[in-house]
Amino acid sequence: MNLSDSKVKLGIAGAVCGIVAAVLAVMGNPGNMAICIACFIRDTAGALGMHQAAVVQYARPEIIGIVLGAFIISVVTKEYRSTAGSSPMIRFVLGMMIMIGSLLFLGCPLRMVIRMSAGDLNAYVALVGFVLGIATGIAALKRGFSLGRSHETNKMNGAVLPVLMIGILVLALMGSALLISSESGPGSMHAPLIIALIGGLVFGAFAQKSRMCFAGSIRDIILMKNFDLFVVIAGLFVVMLVYNIATGNFAFSFTGKPVAHAQHLWNILGMYIVGFAATLAGGCPLRQLVLAGQGSSDAAVTVAGLFVGAALCHNLKLASAAAAPATAEAEAVIGGPSIQGKIAAVICIVVLFVIAFGGNKRSTK
Amino acid sequence: MRKKELKLIVTFHTTADAMAMEKACKERGVPGRLIPVPRVISAGCGLSWCAETAEKENIKAMMQSVGIQEEDMHECMV
Repeated sequence: MNLSDSKVKLGIAGAVCGIVAAVLAVMGNPGNMAICIACFIRDTAGALGMHQAAVVQYARPEIIGIVLGAFIISVVTKEYRSTAGSSPMIRFVLGMMIMIGSLLFLGCPLRMVIRMSAGDLNAYVALVGFVLGIATGIAALKRGFSLGRSHETNKMNGAVLPVLMIGILVLALMGSALLISSESGPGSMHAPLIIALIGGLVFGAFAQKSRMCFAGSIRDIILMKNFDLFVVIAGLFVVMLVYNIATGNFAFSFTGKPVAHAQHLWNILGMYIVGFAATLAGGCPLRQLVLAGQGSSDAAVTVAGLFVGAALCHNLKLASAAAAPATAEAEAVIGGPSIQGKIAAVICIVVLFVIAFGGNKRSTK
Repeated sequence: MRKKELKLIVTFHTTADAMAMEKACKERGVPGRLIPVPRVISAGCGLSWCAETAEKENIKAMMQSVGIQEEDMHECMV
Protein backbone atom coordinates (compact mmCIF):
# COMPACT_ATOMS: atom_id res chain seq x y z
CA MET A 1 0.00 0.00 0.00
CA ASN A 2 1.29 3.43 -0.85
CA LEU A 3 1.10 5.26 2.45
CA SER A 4 1.88 8.70 1.15
CA ASP A 5 -0.45 9.25 -1.78
CA SER A 6 -2.94 11.04 0.45
CA LYS A 7 -2.80 12.99 3.69
CA VAL A 8 -5.43 10.68 5.20
CA LYS A 9 -3.18 7.65 4.72
CA LEU A 10 -0.22 9.56 6.15
CA GLY A 11 -2.33 10.47 9.16
CA ILE A 12 -3.30 6.82 9.57
CA ALA A 13 0.37 5.78 9.43
CA GLY A 14 1.12 8.27 12.21
CA ALA A 15 -1.88 7.02 14.18
CA VAL A 16 -0.63 3.42 13.92
CA CYS A 17 2.70 4.57 15.39
CA GLY A 18 0.74 6.39 18.10
CA ILE A 19 -1.14 3.18 18.91
CA VAL A 20 2.19 1.33 19.18
CA ALA A 21 3.44 4.01 21.58
CA ALA A 22 0.25 3.82 23.67
CA VAL A 23 0.42 0.01 23.86
CA LEU A 24 4.06 0.15 24.95
CA ALA A 25 3.17 2.73 27.60
CA VAL A 26 0.38 0.47 28.90
CA MET A 27 2.68 -2.54 28.85
CA GLY A 28 5.24 -0.92 31.13
CA ASN A 29 7.48 1.59 29.39
CA PRO A 30 8.35 4.66 31.51
CA GLY A 31 5.90 7.54 31.96
CA ASN A 32 5.50 9.90 29.00
CA MET A 33 8.36 8.02 27.35
CA ALA A 34 6.57 5.15 25.58
CA ILE A 35 9.05 5.06 22.70
CA CYS A 36 11.74 7.75 22.98
CA ILE A 37 14.58 7.19 20.54
CA ALA A 38 17.21 9.16 22.48
CA CYS A 39 16.27 7.63 25.84
CA PHE A 40 16.16 4.11 24.43
CA ILE A 41 19.49 4.42 22.61
CA ARG A 42 20.93 5.77 25.89
CA ASP A 43 19.46 2.76 27.75
CA THR A 44 20.86 0.37 25.14
CA ALA A 45 24.29 2.04 25.37
CA GLY A 46 24.05 1.46 29.13
CA ALA A 47 23.10 -2.19 28.63
CA LEU A 48 26.25 -2.62 26.56
CA GLY A 49 28.33 -1.08 29.36
CA MET A 50 29.15 2.07 27.42
CA HIS A 51 28.10 4.06 30.51
CA GLN A 52 27.46 3.04 34.10
CA ALA A 53 24.37 5.08 35.05
CA ALA A 54 22.64 2.26 36.92
CA VAL A 55 19.06 3.49 36.41
CA VAL A 56 19.19 3.76 32.62
CA GLN A 57 20.60 0.47 31.35
CA TYR A 58 18.43 -1.84 29.28
CA ALA A 59 18.70 -3.18 25.74
CA ARG A 60 15.53 -1.69 24.31
CA PRO A 61 13.95 -4.04 21.76
CA GLU A 62 12.13 -1.03 20.28
CA ILE A 63 15.40 0.37 18.86
CA ILE A 64 16.30 -3.04 17.42
CA GLY A 65 12.77 -3.38 16.04
CA ILE A 66 12.73 0.04 14.37
CA VAL A 67 15.99 -0.63 12.51
CA LEU A 68 14.94 -4.16 11.53
CA GLY A 69 11.39 -3.07 10.65
CA ALA A 70 12.74 -0.42 8.29
CA PHE A 71 15.29 -2.91 6.92
CA ILE A 72 12.74 -5.64 6.22
CA ILE A 73 10.11 -3.36 4.67
CA SER A 74 12.68 -1.63 2.48
CA VAL A 75 14.06 -4.97 1.22
CA VAL A 76 10.55 -6.29 0.54
CA THR A 77 9.49 -3.13 -1.29
CA LYS A 78 12.84 -2.84 -3.10
CA GLU A 79 13.70 0.48 -1.50
CA TYR A 80 16.81 -0.85 0.21
CA ARG A 81 19.85 1.01 -1.12
CA SER A 82 23.29 0.64 0.36
CA THR A 83 24.81 4.12 0.29
CA ALA A 84 27.66 5.90 2.07
CA GLY A 85 30.24 8.63 1.80
CA SER A 86 28.54 11.88 2.82
CA SER A 87 30.91 13.42 5.39
CA PRO A 88 30.68 10.49 7.84
CA MET A 89 32.69 12.03 10.68
CA ILE A 90 30.71 15.26 10.62
CA ARG A 91 27.57 13.13 10.80
CA PHE A 92 29.08 11.23 13.74
CA VAL A 93 29.61 14.51 15.57
CA LEU A 94 26.09 15.68 14.65
CA GLY A 95 24.77 12.42 16.15
CA MET A 96 26.67 13.07 19.35
CA MET A 97 25.29 16.60 19.58
CA ILE A 98 21.73 15.44 18.87
CA MET A 99 22.07 13.13 21.87
CA ILE A 100 23.62 15.82 24.10
CA GLY A 101 20.78 18.22 23.21
CA SER A 102 18.17 15.52 23.75
CA LEU A 103 19.47 14.58 27.17
CA LEU A 104 19.65 18.24 28.15
CA PHE A 105 15.90 18.44 27.51
CA LEU A 106 15.30 14.79 28.48
CA GLY A 107 13.87 13.42 25.28
CA CYS A 108 14.18 13.32 21.52
CA PRO A 109 11.65 15.09 19.27
CA LEU A 110 9.43 11.99 19.41
CA ARG A 111 9.32 12.13 23.19
CA MET A 112 8.79 15.89 23.01
CA VAL A 113 5.57 15.23 21.08
CA ILE A 114 4.58 12.43 23.48
CA ARG A 115 5.19 14.77 26.43
CA MET A 116 3.14 17.47 24.69
CA SER A 117 0.28 14.99 24.31
CA ALA A 118 0.29 14.55 28.09
CA GLY A 119 0.16 18.31 28.70
CA ASP A 120 3.82 18.69 29.75
CA LEU A 121 4.27 22.44 29.21
CA ASN A 122 8.06 22.06 29.30
CA ALA A 123 7.79 20.19 26.01
CA TYR A 124 5.85 23.10 24.50
CA VAL A 125 8.64 25.43 25.63
CA ALA A 126 11.20 23.08 24.10
CA LEU A 127 9.25 23.06 20.83
CA VAL A 128 10.13 26.74 20.46
CA GLY A 129 13.81 25.86 20.59
CA PHE A 130 13.31 22.93 18.20
CA VAL A 131 11.63 25.15 15.58
CA LEU A 132 14.31 27.82 15.97
CA GLY A 133 17.02 25.19 15.56
CA ILE A 134 15.42 23.89 12.37
CA ALA A 135 15.06 27.46 11.08
CA THR A 136 18.78 28.02 11.71
CA GLY A 137 19.56 24.81 9.85
CA ILE A 138 17.42 25.97 6.93
CA ALA A 139 19.29 29.28 6.87
CA ALA A 140 22.48 27.25 6.47
CA LEU A 141 20.92 25.15 3.70
CA LYS A 142 19.90 28.32 1.90
CA ARG A 143 23.50 29.54 2.08
CA GLY A 144 24.67 26.38 0.34
CA PHE A 145 25.44 24.10 3.30
CA SER A 146 26.04 20.53 2.18
CA LEU A 147 27.66 17.41 3.56
CA GLY A 148 28.20 16.18 0.01
CA ARG A 149 26.48 13.40 -1.81
CA SER A 150 26.47 9.74 -0.89
CA HIS A 151 27.33 6.95 -3.29
CA GLU A 152 26.13 3.40 -3.82
CA THR A 153 28.27 0.89 -1.95
CA ASN A 154 28.51 -2.86 -1.59
CA LYS A 155 25.09 -4.12 -0.45
CA MET A 156 26.56 -5.73 2.65
CA ASN A 157 27.81 -2.36 3.90
CA GLY A 158 24.29 -1.04 4.44
CA ALA A 159 23.28 -4.17 6.34
CA VAL A 160 25.91 -3.80 9.07
CA LEU A 161 23.76 -1.89 11.57
CA PRO A 162 20.75 -4.23 11.17
CA VAL A 163 23.10 -7.20 11.74
CA LEU A 164 24.59 -5.56 14.85
CA MET A 165 21.03 -5.03 16.10
CA ILE A 166 20.29 -8.72 15.52
CA GLY A 167 23.37 -9.48 17.63
CA ILE A 168 21.98 -7.45 20.56
CA LEU A 169 18.57 -9.08 20.04
CA VAL A 170 20.08 -12.59 20.24
CA LEU A 171 21.79 -11.68 23.53
CA ALA A 172 18.51 -10.25 24.85
CA LEU A 173 16.46 -13.29 23.77
CA MET A 174 19.03 -15.60 25.44
CA GLY A 175 18.72 -13.57 28.62
CA SER A 176 22.49 -13.11 28.49
CA ALA A 177 24.10 -11.65 31.60
CA LEU A 178 26.40 -9.73 29.25
CA LEU A 179 23.63 -7.17 28.84
CA ILE A 180 23.24 -4.97 31.91
CA SER A 181 19.67 -4.36 33.11
CA SER A 182 18.66 -1.65 35.56
CA GLU A 183 17.01 -2.85 38.74
CA SER A 184 15.37 0.51 39.47
CA GLY A 185 14.59 3.75 37.66
CA PRO A 186 13.44 4.22 34.05
CA GLY A 187 15.69 1.43 32.77
CA SER A 188 13.81 -1.09 34.91
CA MET A 189 10.46 -0.08 33.41
CA HIS A 190 9.80 -1.84 30.16
CA ALA A 191 7.22 -3.69 28.15
CA PRO A 192 7.78 -7.45 27.70
CA LEU A 193 10.59 -8.12 25.22
CA ILE A 194 8.51 -9.69 22.45
CA ILE A 195 5.81 -7.00 22.60
CA ALA A 196 8.45 -4.25 22.57
CA LEU A 197 10.18 -5.92 19.61
CA ILE A 198 6.93 -6.27 17.64
CA GLY A 199 6.07 -2.66 18.53
CA GLY A 200 9.45 -1.52 17.22
CA LEU A 201 9.10 -3.56 14.02
CA VAL A 202 5.66 -2.07 13.30
CA PHE A 203 6.83 1.43 14.20
CA GLY A 204 9.92 1.09 12.00
CA ALA A 205 7.97 -0.23 9.04
CA PHE A 206 5.32 2.49 9.20
CA ALA A 207 7.92 5.18 9.83
CA GLN A 208 9.81 3.98 6.74
CA LYS A 209 6.76 3.93 4.53
CA SER A 210 5.49 7.31 5.70
CA ARG A 211 8.99 8.89 6.01
CA MET A 212 8.05 10.05 9.49
CA CYS A 213 10.52 12.70 10.62
CA PHE A 214 10.00 15.28 13.32
CA ALA A 215 12.65 17.70 12.08
CA GLY A 216 11.69 17.07 8.46
CA SER A 217 8.04 17.87 9.11
CA ILE A 218 8.84 21.36 10.37
CA ARG A 219 11.56 21.84 7.73
CA ASP A 220 9.05 21.09 4.98
CA ILE A 221 6.52 23.53 6.42
CA ILE A 222 9.06 26.36 6.65
CA LEU A 223 10.74 25.59 3.33
CA MET A 224 7.85 24.52 1.12
CA LYS A 225 4.66 25.07 3.10
CA ASN A 226 4.19 21.33 2.73
CA PHE A 227 2.30 19.58 5.53
CA ASP A 228 2.65 15.92 4.43
CA LEU A 229 5.16 14.93 7.12
CA PHE A 230 3.41 17.09 9.70
CA VAL A 231 0.21 15.07 9.18
CA VAL A 232 2.10 11.90 10.20
CA ILE A 233 3.20 13.54 13.45
CA ALA A 234 -0.30 14.92 14.01
CA GLY A 235 -1.71 11.37 13.69
CA LEU A 236 0.66 10.14 16.40
CA PHE A 237 -0.05 13.15 18.61
CA VAL A 238 -3.83 12.75 18.42
CA VAL A 239 -3.71 9.05 19.37
CA MET A 240 -1.41 9.76 22.31
CA LEU A 241 -3.60 12.70 23.36
CA VAL A 242 -6.69 10.46 23.40
CA TYR A 243 -4.74 7.81 25.32
CA ASN A 244 -3.54 10.33 27.90
CA ILE A 245 -7.00 11.85 28.36
CA ALA A 246 -8.61 8.41 28.62
CA THR A 247 -6.13 7.26 31.25
CA GLY A 248 -6.26 10.49 33.26
CA ASN A 249 -2.64 11.27 32.44
CA PHE A 250 -3.38 14.55 30.67
CA ALA A 251 -2.94 17.83 32.58
CA PHE A 252 -1.26 21.05 31.51
CA SER A 253 1.58 21.65 33.96
CA PHE A 254 5.26 22.53 34.20
CA THR A 255 5.71 20.34 37.26
CA GLY A 256 4.88 16.82 38.37
CA LYS A 257 5.66 15.35 34.97
CA PRO A 258 7.73 12.15 34.74
CA VAL A 259 11.40 12.45 33.70
CA ALA A 260 11.22 16.19 33.00
CA HIS A 261 12.55 19.46 34.37
CA ALA A 262 11.32 23.03 34.14
CA GLN A 263 14.56 24.87 33.35
CA HIS A 264 13.06 26.73 30.40
CA LEU A 265 16.24 28.18 28.90
CA TRP A 266 17.93 24.77 28.86
CA ASN A 267 14.87 23.01 27.50
CA ILE A 268 14.86 25.53 24.66
CA LEU A 269 18.60 25.28 24.04
CA GLY A 270 18.55 21.48 24.26
CA MET A 271 15.97 21.16 21.53
CA TYR A 272 17.56 24.04 19.58
CA ILE A 273 20.68 21.87 19.32
CA VAL A 274 18.59 18.86 18.28
CA GLY A 275 16.62 20.79 15.64
CA PHE A 276 19.73 22.47 14.23
CA ALA A 277 21.84 19.29 14.13
CA ALA A 278 18.98 17.14 12.80
CA THR A 279 18.37 19.57 9.94
CA LEU A 280 22.05 19.50 9.00
CA ALA A 281 22.08 15.68 9.27
CA GLY A 282 18.88 15.35 7.24
CA GLY A 283 16.64 13.85 9.90
CA CYS A 284 15.70 13.43 13.55
CA PRO A 285 16.95 10.44 15.61
CA LEU A 286 14.00 8.30 14.52
CA ARG A 287 14.63 9.09 10.86
CA GLN A 288 18.32 8.27 11.27
CA LEU A 289 17.41 4.80 12.61
CA VAL A 290 15.01 4.25 9.72
CA LEU A 291 17.46 5.49 7.07
CA ALA A 292 20.16 3.29 8.61
CA GLY A 293 17.73 0.36 8.35
CA GLN A 294 17.15 0.99 4.67
CA GLY A 295 20.86 0.94 3.87
CA SER A 296 22.30 4.40 4.57
CA SER A 297 25.69 4.00 6.21
CA ASP A 298 25.76 7.77 6.68
CA ALA A 299 22.69 7.47 8.89
CA ALA A 300 24.25 4.44 10.62
CA VAL A 301 27.30 6.56 11.46
CA THR A 302 24.94 9.21 12.89
CA VAL A 303 23.34 6.45 15.01
CA ALA A 304 26.84 5.46 16.18
CA GLY A 305 27.28 9.11 17.17
CA LEU A 306 24.03 8.93 19.13
CA PHE A 307 25.35 5.89 21.06
CA VAL A 308 28.70 7.51 21.84
CA GLY A 309 26.96 10.79 22.69
CA ALA A 310 24.73 8.92 25.14
CA ALA A 311 27.74 7.31 26.80
CA LEU A 312 29.49 10.68 27.06
CA CYS A 313 26.38 12.30 28.51
CA HIS A 314 26.43 9.95 31.47
CA ASN A 315 30.19 9.39 31.80
CA LEU A 316 30.84 13.16 31.80
CA LYS A 317 27.58 13.97 33.61
CA LEU A 318 26.20 16.14 30.83
CA ALA A 319 22.65 14.74 31.06
CA SER A 320 20.06 16.77 32.93
CA ALA A 321 18.46 15.56 36.13
CA ALA A 322 14.71 15.05 36.29
CA ALA A 323 12.73 17.13 38.77
CA ALA A 324 11.40 15.13 41.71
CA PRO A 325 9.11 15.96 44.64
CA ALA A 326 10.28 15.63 48.22
CA THR A 327 9.95 12.21 49.83
CA ALA A 328 10.43 10.91 53.35
CA GLU A 329 14.03 10.08 52.49
CA ALA A 330 15.00 12.90 50.15
CA GLU A 331 14.45 16.59 49.53
CA ALA A 332 12.72 17.86 46.41
CA VAL A 333 14.89 18.07 43.29
CA ILE A 334 14.46 21.02 40.93
CA GLY A 335 16.15 19.13 38.12
CA GLY A 336 17.84 20.52 35.04
CA PRO A 337 21.30 20.47 33.55
CA SER A 338 24.57 20.22 35.43
CA ILE A 339 27.24 22.86 34.89
CA GLN A 340 28.99 20.38 32.58
CA GLY A 341 25.76 20.02 30.62
CA LYS A 342 25.45 23.79 30.24
CA ILE A 343 29.05 24.09 29.02
CA ALA A 344 28.49 21.20 26.61
CA ALA A 345 25.38 22.93 25.25
CA VAL A 346 27.31 26.11 24.51
CA ILE A 347 30.11 24.11 22.86
CA CYS A 348 27.55 22.21 20.76
CA ILE A 349 25.94 25.43 19.52
CA VAL A 350 29.33 26.92 18.59
CA VAL A 351 30.34 23.70 16.79
CA LEU A 352 27.00 23.60 14.96
CA PHE A 353 27.51 27.14 13.66
CA VAL A 354 31.04 26.23 12.54
CA ILE A 355 29.77 23.13 10.70
CA ALA A 356 26.78 24.98 9.21
CA PHE A 357 28.43 28.22 8.15
CA GLY A 358 32.14 27.41 8.18
CA GLY A 359 32.71 26.13 4.70
CA ASN A 360 30.77 22.91 4.19
CA LYS A 361 29.51 24.24 0.90
CA ARG A 362 27.89 22.66 -2.07
CA SER A 363 30.36 21.77 -4.80
CA THR A 364 29.42 22.94 -8.29
CA LYS A 365 31.74 20.50 -10.06
CA MET B 1 -9.12 17.39 -3.47
CA ARG B 2 -6.74 18.81 -6.09
CA LYS B 3 -6.60 16.73 -9.25
CA LYS B 4 -3.22 15.11 -9.93
CA GLU B 5 -1.39 16.08 -13.11
CA LEU B 6 1.58 14.69 -14.98
CA LYS B 7 4.64 16.72 -13.92
CA LEU B 8 8.36 16.77 -14.45
CA ILE B 9 10.16 15.84 -11.21
CA VAL B 10 13.87 16.53 -10.91
CA THR B 11 15.59 14.78 -7.99
CA PHE B 12 18.99 15.73 -6.59
CA HIS B 13 21.91 14.10 -4.81
CA THR B 14 21.85 16.66 -2.01
CA THR B 15 19.43 19.09 -0.41
CA ALA B 16 21.89 21.85 -1.27
CA ASP B 17 21.53 21.06 -4.98
CA ALA B 18 17.75 21.33 -4.66
CA MET B 19 18.08 24.69 -2.90
CA ALA B 20 20.50 25.89 -5.61
CA MET B 21 17.96 24.80 -8.21
CA GLU B 22 15.21 26.85 -6.57
CA LYS B 23 17.47 29.89 -6.47
CA ALA B 24 18.60 29.49 -10.08
CA CYS B 25 15.06 29.01 -11.35
CA LYS B 26 13.78 32.04 -9.47
CA GLU B 27 16.60 34.21 -10.79
CA ARG B 28 15.95 33.10 -14.37
CA GLY B 29 12.15 33.12 -14.18
CA VAL B 30 11.91 29.37 -14.84
CA PRO B 31 8.53 28.21 -13.50
CA GLY B 32 8.26 25.39 -10.96
CA ARG B 33 8.51 24.77 -7.23
CA LEU B 34 10.27 22.70 -4.58
CA ILE B 35 8.27 19.73 -3.31
CA PRO B 36 9.15 16.69 -1.19
CA VAL B 37 10.26 13.83 -3.45
CA PRO B 38 7.05 12.01 -4.45
CA ARG B 39 6.82 8.64 -2.72
CA VAL B 40 6.56 6.71 -5.98
CA ILE B 41 10.09 7.79 -6.90
CA SER B 42 12.26 7.33 -3.87
CA ALA B 43 12.28 6.62 -0.17
CA GLY B 44 14.60 9.50 0.61
CA CYS B 45 13.31 12.45 2.59
CA GLY B 46 14.84 14.91 0.15
CA LEU B 47 13.49 17.68 -1.95
CA SER B 48 12.71 17.73 -5.64
CA TRP B 49 11.89 20.32 -8.29
CA CYS B 50 8.43 20.06 -9.78
CA ALA B 51 7.69 21.68 -13.16
CA GLU B 52 5.61 21.28 -16.29
CA THR B 53 6.78 18.40 -18.47
CA ALA B 54 7.09 20.78 -21.42
CA GLU B 55 9.87 22.60 -19.53
CA LYS B 56 12.18 19.56 -19.55
CA GLU B 57 14.65 20.69 -22.22
CA ASN B 58 14.62 24.26 -20.95
CA ILE B 59 15.38 23.06 -17.42
CA LYS B 60 18.09 20.67 -18.60
CA ALA B 61 19.85 23.48 -20.44
CA MET B 62 19.58 25.84 -17.49
CA MET B 63 20.94 23.22 -15.06
CA GLN B 64 23.89 22.58 -17.33
CA SER B 65 24.65 26.28 -17.61
CA VAL B 66 24.65 26.87 -13.84
CA GLY B 67 26.34 23.57 -12.92
CA ILE B 68 23.56 21.76 -11.08
CA GLN B 69 23.59 18.00 -11.54
CA GLU B 70 20.34 16.09 -11.25
CA GLU B 71 20.12 12.64 -9.70
CA ASP B 72 17.34 11.79 -12.12
CA MET B 73 14.40 13.23 -14.03
CA HIS B 74 10.99 11.62 -13.87
CA GLU B 75 7.54 12.25 -15.22
CA CYS B 76 4.88 11.27 -12.73
CA MET B 77 1.47 12.20 -11.40
CA VAL B 78 1.72 14.79 -8.65
